[in-house]
Amino acid sequence: MCLLRLRDVSLGYGNRPVLEHVDLELARGEFLALLGPNGAGKTTLLRGIVGLLAPTAGSIEYELDRRASPLGYVPQRETLDPAFPLTVFEVVLMGTYARLSAWRRAGAHQHRVARHALELVGLPALADQRFADLSGGQTQRVLIARALAAEPSLLVLDEPTAGIDADATAAIMGVLSRLNRDDGLTVLLVTHQVRVLQGVVKAVVWVQDGGAARGGLEETLARHTMAAVL
Amino acid sequence: MNTVVEVLSPGFILRDALIASVLVGLVCPLVGVYFVLRRMIFLGVALPQLAAAGIAFSLLMHRMFVGPHPHGGASDAMMARLGATAFTLGGILLLALLERRGREFVEARIGMTFAIAGALTILFLAADPWGEAHIVNLLKGELLAATETSVVFLAAVLSAVVIALIAFQKEFLLVSFDHDLAVVFGKRTTFWDALLYLLCGVTISFGVLAAGPLVTFGFLLAPPLAARQMTRRMVTFSVVSSAIGGVTAFVGFCAAYRYDMPLGPTEVAISAGVVLLVSAGDWLRRALAPHPA
Repeated sequence: MCLLRLRDVSLGYGNRPVLEHVDLELARGEFLALLGPNGAGKTTLLRGIVGLLAPTAGSIEYELDRRASPLGYVPQRETLDPAFPLTVFEVVLMGTYARLSAWRRAGAHQHRVARHALELVGLPALADQRFADLSGGQTQRVLIARALAAEPSLLVLDEPTAGIDADATAAIMGVLSRLNRDDGLTVLLVTHQVRVLQGVVKAVVWVQDGGAARGGLEETLARHTMAAVL
Repeated sequence: MNTVVEVLSPGFILRDALIASVLVGLVCPLVGVYFVLRRMIFLGVALPQLAAAGIAFSLLMHRMFVGPHPHGGASDAMMARLGATAFTLGGILLLALLERRGREFVEARIGMTFAIAGALTILFLAADPWGEAHIVNLLKGELLAATETSVVFLAAVLSAVVIALIAFQKEFLLVSFDHDLAVVFGKRTTFWDALLYLLCGVTISFGVLAAGPLVTFGFLLAPPLAARQMTRRMVTFSVVSSAIGGVTAFVGFCAAYRYDMPLGPTEVAISAGVVLLVSAGDWLRRALAPHPA
């Protein structure tokens, strides 16, 4: 079943188009990566998909009701201000706000969901730690836990392994792979680190020259490596 | 000690001023935490100045179109409230609107707002020589002239602000900490930003009327700056900020009364002292903490 469908979508900033005429489908339970050179428009496409950037043309259709089945979103971690006095648990609890109306406060159920999300990423011991004091890898896993606390049907991640060491990268990809394989969670991520996808992702979308094309991981990499060499 | 007993006695002659002072001290830090966390500290200087310009403007309008304003009249206070609130809210909404267009020049815009508001205040005062001395008192904040009616009104407005801050704490935190996530969750971010700005604007305009721009700015920023170094959770950060503001206001009042000093500057000086003390303690704690090998 198709979870997300982009039809002839164009995205850009002001009068500057970044991507044009993009068609894309994401099936439920799939693990898809957006790849491409720096500045090609991967993050722009991701921002369009999660609703942070309105398309200048075309349509982005999410098959489920966004209120009943919210997106789990993991931004690039540099966008979050360490000045906020927040514990890890408070940050993860924020994910449950997706399903809470303005008048409702996070109660026992939301606390349980947040604790479970922390367990899923293997960091329950850090619940009372200051969020600002975490390492890059820990921060990323906490942000994944926050996204999971929204109990999403689709998890969207923007460069989750950028700037972190090999062990932390392996831990993050292990968590994502397990969630996709065991829980059937649909995952869409942007990365420029091809190595982290080996053995985890089968299909990728290559973003370049204002367009996006879907293909298998190996063949897409082979084609674009060859193009770069030639 | 005698001073504290005297100040707390039911028949204390400046009881209303004390209550107004403590109210401003308790509530200003609650909106101030968002100024500090959203890195809008300069807005804390510019907005009280805008409120002052609003007071001067409304009284000038009264003078021009209605006639001379009697000193201490009820219409006087109402006009001042109206002017302060209108200018503060207008300024805060305009700055919020401009912030959405790009963050690069935020400090420049706020700096310009402060300069323009300061200039307008003086120009409005100069155009209204009849009431200049009285307006200067209003602009400095008339804590000592607080009446039972004005304190009840101040308490009602600030209570409403506190209730709204508590009721919508999770929305305000979400749009402040991760605006993008709030959009992804389908929250009405423009509405929550506007409501937060509205609460800030109302608190500041009433704070300026009660205590003046200097004290309002001091209580907006000093308690949160001190509390940030002592707390690790958002809720305790807000509660400790408010407690520091309330206690500082009370101690400042007692000190000003005991040593016959001007109230506003005394309170600000004590707030600054608390920030220095907490910073020194924090520095000492870090210095004495065992370093990892």
